[in-house]
Amino acid sequence: MHEYSIACEILDQVLKTAKLHEAKEIKSVTLELGQLAHTNPDQLAFCFDVLAKESLAEGAELKVEMKAPTIECDCGYSGPVKKPSAACAEEKLQSELLEYISALACPKCGKNARIAGGRELLIKTIDIEI
Amino acid sequence: MLMHVIHMGHDVFKANDKLAEKNRKNLEKHGVFSINVMGAIGSGKTTLIEEAVKALKDRYRIAVIAGDVIAEMDASRFRKLGVPTVPANTGKECHLDAKLVEKALSEIDLEKTDLLIIENVGNLICPVDFKLGEGLRVVAVSVSEGDDIILKHPMIFKTAELALINKVDIAKAVDVDPETMKQDILSLNPTVPVLLTSKHDNESLKTWIEQLENGIKALKGLQK
Repeated sequence: MHEYSIACEILDQVLKTAKLHEAKEIKSVTLELGQLAHTNPDQLAFCFDVLAKESLAEGAELKVEMKAPTIECDCGYSGPVKKPSAACAEEKLQSELLEYISALACPKCGKNARIAGGRELLIKTIDIEI
Repeated sequence: MLMHVIHMGHDVFKANDKLAEKNRKNLEKHGVFSINVMGAIGSGKTTLIEEAVKALKDRYRIAVIAGDVIAEMDASRFRKLGVPTVPANTGKECHLDAKLVEKALSEIDLEKTDLLIIENVGNLICPVDFKLGEGLRVVAVSVSEGDDIILKHPMIFKTAELALINKVDIAKAVDVDPETMKQDILSLNPTVPVLLTSKHDNESLKTWIEQLENGIKALKGLQK
């Protein structure tokens, strides 16, 4: 559980940028969160909400856009992973596990590929009133 | 009132990555081979580190960073072995980060260090996203965590550079097959060395200690 410290960092950065633009209020913050990052968007939003009280960001909506993993393979493939499909699983594996494991295999040659994207947490934009 | 959309593009983890890169360069400049020992609570991280320190301290200069919510407990175990040890209290945090390691490094004489062992907080989830600047990422689990522990925590094994399955001497008692655990690790990360260890089996400990010695030698360019 490290959503609290991540929320602290997000709030810090957001307030810095908002002040630079002489904002009176921050309406919303849009994040891009990789599906492979170990961060829970709901917990993050909760922590952010609590931390933002009595600041320019009080009441600001935290929008989290989830980003699918991308991989790079020795065979030359570079791009998204194959979408997990519960139907093709022999047994009823958890969809989360499927998602993780499918993220590791190259859709072209099936080999175990390097993770290129999907682990990041980006503060994309903020909506402010000036 | 005017509404404005401000583009930020600030990567929260990148800030840590950059600091980790600084730590890595600092360690490399001083010829220090460093390892980040991650793993489950009770997997035997501290004991494995103690065994490595005992075996290597007469030949190499070792320093330890002990990271934990209350770090002093493990730190005192390492100090008893006579190696410089810095406790890194994470407070309520579940992992070490590059900032805490940077601070700890300032308390270590890197000129007089060949091997730096960083013991991370017992956790298979949170340390994954926070690089420290280490030369080798080590993950330890023990058979008592159950043989489904690997697939439940894929990212830490996918990104590991050395994996240890510890306490294999009690595998039968907890009804676990260490080979299954090993195969699960290899299914996620086919090229990672996987060691089966037990503190009661000196030969198995030697395989772990050997990995560290190889790392030290490789960095010093002594290996042929």
